[in-house]
Amino acid sequence: MISLSELHTDALCEIFNIGAGRAASSLSEIIGEEVQLSVPHVQLFPSSEIHAQTLPLDSARVGAVRQHFSGPFDAIAMLLFTEARALEIVRDMMGTHVSVAELAEFEQDAMCELGNIILNACLSAMGDLLGLSLQSTLPQYSVDAPEAILQKLIGEIDQPVMMALHIDLKIEKRQTQGCLVFLLSTSSLKEFLAHIDNFITGI
Amino acid sequence: MNQRTHTQNMIWHSIWNAVNTGLILIDAKSVVLLWNDWVSEHSGIDEKHAVGQSLETLFAESLGASFKTAMQNALAYKLPVVLSSALHRSPLPLYPLPCTRQKQQARIHQSITLTPIITPDGAHQCLIQITDTSVSFAREHLLKLHSRQLSIDATTDSLTGAYNRRYFDERFKAEFGRVHRQGTPLSLLMLDIDYFKDYNDFYGHPAGDRVLIRIVELIKSQLNRTTDVVTRYGGEEFAILLPDCELEGAYAVAQKIQSAMLELNIPHAKSNVTDRVTLSIGIATHSISSNCDANFLLNTADTALYTAKHDGRNCIRHLFTQSEMCKNAAYLIDIGL
Repeated sequence: MISLSELHTDALCEIFNIGAGRAASSLSEIIGEEVQLSVPHVQLFPSSEIHAQTLPLDSARVGAVRQHFSGPFDAIAMLLFTEARALEIVRDMMGTHVSVAELAEFEQDAMCELGNIILNACLSAMGDLLGLSLQSTLPQYSVDAPEAILQKLIGEIDQPVMMALHIDLKIEKRQTQGCLVFLLSTSSLKEFLAHIDNFITGI
Repeated sequence: MNQRTHTQNMIWHSIWNAVNTGLILIDAKSVVLLWNDWVSEHSGIDEKHAVGQSLETLFAESLGASFKTAMQNALAYKLPVVLSSALHRSPLPLYPLPCTRQKQQARIHQSITLTPIITPDGAHQCLIQITDTSVSFAREHLLKLHSRQLSIDATTDSLTGAYNRRYFDERFKAEFGRVHRQGTPLSLLMLDIDYFKDYNDFYGHPAGDRVLIRIVELIKSQLNRTTDVVTRYGGEEFAILLPDCELEGAYAVAQKIQSAMLELNIPHAKSNVTDRVTLSIGIATHSISSNCDANFLLNTADTALYTAKHDGRNCIRHLFTQSEMCKNAAYLIDIGL
């Protein structure tokens, strides 16, 4: 079984916090408010432990933005927020007072964009620091039970492992936690860790 | 170029222009390589003029910062970027048809996707797709207005504008629950217009309706807190919920309403109380120390109103729910009226 060394965890936190910083500045530009985004933890779960309970999301329904990316290794990157929280963030961003029950097309679009900004920022930071080039599909948004979302994705990957990153997002006074999940095959993970090792050696 | 490739290119060009979406292809320096008819029509800039120019030059100062950042990111990192119309509305200077390019013309609402494209020879390009979301934007706006109106209609009495019985039932349950969660008291006022049937018989129903409207206006004008709820409970009966309000507060509200009613001075020739329209008011107050249920509180307020009627009308009577009284009739507290 592959596990992350302390050096790996530190390096990953550094990379994703750089990504989070970029995402925060893009979000600030759109909203016109200060946005703080940080990634305090990274954890790796083997295939047998990929289920909703391992995610730091205590909610029956979550909003998920996902992008499939490919390059030296392939993965599904997905950003998860509890549904109600996701809508609060989007409402703050849109600056209008629509009730959560009134969720419609536009809020979903906005959610997709929010996910796209955070995912792209993390992928671009990874690209820059690890010196690799990644392609990605367009973001897709869905709302479902966390277990259903995970199970659907696991089916698409051979021998999957899950890397879960806790995310703290703070817009003005509102603070919310989300989760960034990378699902990748064991072989892609090995490839990914090899790039991380190179990065650590290069420091 | 052989004949076959030429024909194929012609077909691609026709498809490119037939698409009902804006398509712009730019290179790594944001110079326009392709510009379809949709974009020409909505920007007022034709293809010949656009190709070879950078987007910054073509759209000059009207290109927003977030669009520029998105474009730079898409080109630098080769990752697709979406700009939702919810967060950006109209990033590009594109207008409804016919496009006049005049400043007063409002831009169309847009949803934009930037997709990186890598050519066979390794060059980086970016395809910008623009969808006009003005129609769905207007539709969504309309649906929201309708849904707001429907929820108002479903909870309001159409004649007086007070909340209706359905709203009262929901709100009463919620406020009653709050007493036990937060420990704050709850007062309920029941008001009834004295000899209203005789008023209607004598002055006619349209006049009776006007009295109902004026009384609701009067009650609303006497309540200061946004949490207070005025409902038309039955024909000439009104219920007022006063959350976080003790006996003294509720009693003061009832007194204010009654004296305002007298000042309103609506003649009532058929009243046996006075020559004006008057109100009988029953008050019930519930607190956390009582383990009575919501129905008991409602019955207690009703009993208080009945007592006010029995005691000669145009007066206020107050009861409050007490644990030991739950099983028996409500307990009358003489407050010196």
